[in-house]
Amino acid sequence: MTATLQKKICMLGAFSVGKTSLVKRFVESVFSETYLTTVGVKIDKKTVDLSNLTVSLILWDLAGEDDISSLRMSYLRGSAGYVLVADGTRPSTLEVAMSLRRRVETDFGPLPFVLLLNKNDLREEWAVRDEEVQDLQQSGWWVRSTSARTGEGVDDAFGTLAERVVR
Amino acid sequence: MGAQLIGPAVSTSAAATLEWLFRPLSREPGIDREALAGLLVELARNVEPQFGAEPNGVRPIDPRLEQLRNLLVGREIEVLSRLRKVLEDPEQLAIAVGRVLPAAVAQVSSDARLGEVLAPTLEKATQSSIRSDPRTLLNILYPLIVPAIRKSIGETIDETFQSLNESLKHSLTWRGLKWRWEAWRTGVSFAEVVLKHTLVYQVEHVFLIHRHTGLLISHVAAANAVGQDPQLVSSMLVAIQDFVRDSFSGADQQGLDTARLGDLLLWSEPGPFAMLVAVIRGNPPEGLHETLRDVLSRIHDERRHALESFDGDSSGFADLEANLRECVALGQRAQISAKRGFPWFVALVGLVLLALGGLGGWRWWQNEQAWEHAQQLEAGKRRTWDGYVAQLRAEPGIVITEAEQRDGKFVISGLRDPLAIDPQLLLHQAGIDPTSVASLWKSYQGLEPTFVLVRLQRSLDPPPSVTLEVEGDRIVARGSAASTWIDRARVAGRRLPAGGPSLDLSHVHDINEGAIGKLSEAIQSHEIHFNFNQSLPTVGQDAILDQLAKELTDLESLASRLRLTARVMLTGHSDDAGNGTFNLSLSLARAEAVRALLKKRGVDPDLLAVRGAGQLEPLETASSEAARSANRRVSFKVGIEEQQ
Repeated sequence: MTATLQKKICMLGAFSVGKTSLVKRFVESVFSETYLTTVGVKIDKKTVDLSNLTVSLILWDLAGEDDISSLRMSYLRGSAGYVLVADGTRPSTLEVAMSLRRRVETDFGPLPFVLLLNKNDLREEWAVRDEEVQDLQQSGWWVRSTSARTGEGVDDAFGTLAERVVR
Repeated sequence: MGAQLIGPAVSTSAAATLEWLFRPLSREPGIDREALAGLLVELARNVEPQFGAEPNGVRPIDPRLEQLRNLLVGREIEVLSRLRKVLEDPEQLAIAVGRVLPAAVAQVSSDARLGEVLAPTLEKATQSSIRSDPRTLLNILYPLIVPAIRKSIGETIDETFQSLNESLKHSLTWRGLKWRWEAWRTGVSFAEVVLKHTLVYQVEHVFLIHRHTGLLISHVAAANAVGQDPQLVSSMLVAIQDFVRDSFSGADQQGLDTARLGDLLLWSEPGPFAMLVAVIRGNPPEGLHETLRDVLSRIHDERRHALESFDGDSSGFADLEANLRECVALGQRAQISAKRGFPWFVALVGLVLLALGGLGGWRWWQNEQAWEHAQQLEAGKRRTWDGYVAQLRAEPGIVITEAEQRDGKFVISGLRDPLAIDPQLLLHQAGIDPTSVASLWKSYQGLEPTFVLVRLQRSLDPPPSVTLEVEGDRIVARGSAASTWIDRARVAGRRLPAGGPSLDLSHVHDINEGAIGKLSEAIQSHEIHFNFNQSLPTVGQDAILDQLAKELTDLESLASRLRLTARVMLTGHSDDAGNGTFNLSLSLARAEAVRALLKKRGVDPDLLAVRGAGQLEPLETASSEAARSANRRVSFKVGIEEQQ
């Protein structure tokens, strides 16, 4: 169904943190993944049912870059919020997420966002310390651990973000 | 035994199976003799329970066992060895596999995996085939490609004809004329106008997209249009625009406003807060841009504030759909031509054309007649002119250097002797309108005898007794004339230009010659003498006077006969004695006296003229008395002239 309320959401994260996998499994997608490598962005839609309304999150999946300076910031223009994705098994991707957030904040001011620590199905390889996550949460970050493979936490994360951008 | 050979054949891959087959056997071919011996002993006990032999006693090499083996499986061993030979020899194996391959492929042809497995190989094979000799594949595909191309060309030609038909159809209809008018008015070619109106295109989708967020505000699609989720499409469109803008510097504020893929066209019109993107199928006219811009600007005018503060909630923009629907409604519809009624307009045009044609024909006929008439007139004129020119050319004293018809006028020029006929006069006689003729004549003097004659007659003024005539190349004067005239004529004759006619005066007689001349000489030889200071003649001269009177009367009658006029001058003279004035009047009185005396003797006084010369014309200049006496006299001078 098509909701009359739409919000632009950007998906940001380091290379191969599983953004595309998250999107691929849980959202409506009409465009091929080659868009990411050609245009640098791929648009998908996640319709979220909130208690009293339905909102269409228009997800701009930006091509993952470890070098955030090459990120096309213009794609973030007009975003209502964004999703930071990091790989729980690679702490460096959390670093990238944090610097991305700083970059967005500098260019576009404070926007609602959610940090997804992906690949939580690989618990034995988990490398992000819980203390670190707690620190982030205490400084106001909305952190969810998700698994693109099992789908754990994904709907909750998008629902949370939808709530926050609609508010 | 057999299981040992066949067992590994369950191995998954065919390659592994062959490898196993070709592998040299680990052991010498043989059998577990101990086990065999035990088995045989057991068999013997079953037959004969008292059989006491122990298998342990069997020797490791016992030729009988080998014999037994040959007896039991010798045949199989041979078959297997033949099989092995086939497997080991690639050539024989190929033959063997080739024998069953078609059947094997046929067996698994329904299995999709065969296609998947073969596809890469076939692709490679095809590529290499094309590389080595493209003609092979071309020959294979030829029967497929040619009909396809033919069909495609056929369709294109059909379309062209369709388009041509459309144009022709519109060229004579009311709409066609309207379009012609439009073309004339707007200054574009008729073809462009036709194209504009007959372009087949359809606006399939119209997206109204918020520029800042890339979110869809409104979307309308044509009834038959298909497409993806418009919300996604609109964001992607914006993303692509951003991509182009970022990738190619210099396009800061401009996005991608046109994109074409096949017959699908994407036109984007940017506005301050929203942009309008139309997805068009076919060939839209350029004017569609204008329409889209109009719609977009209208939307901005009406909803500027709402657009500016758009935050993703499109529920308040439902009414904009009507505006967008306007755009989707655009498109050249198929021509409604099936239910066209009687083509009255064409018929009307036909009738008008027919009427015009008839009128034109009649006019043409009329013109033709008039033209013929004009031609005849012209020919007549021409003939008259030619006659005139010929006549003029024959005239003496006229030399025509140019005679032609130029710009509807006759032009004639040349030389003309002033004595020649007046060409203008001749023009009148010929019946040619002088205003239609431009003449330019330069004067010259001709040597034609007639002109020379005329000139001589004018300059010599010959007396009536003389006639001048052209005779051959001469001008002959005939008759009689005074010697003075004859002298003058002789001078004029000598002055005539060489090469022209000459003047012949040999037939002119001097009138003073002959009878009248003799008579004149006789009269002039007489003198009447006077005494000193006397005005009457000395006595004794009556006989002379009588003689004179007779001669004068003869002269008069002779002159009259000869149609001449005679005049006799009586001049009175005096001697030199005395006053000159007195002498003058005395001499005149003496002449008067003689005239009176002659009149008395019957001489016509009109014949006689008198004058007094006084002492100025003496006969003798000596101062003697004799000389004086001789000088006192009246002398006579006869003048003969042609009658006037």
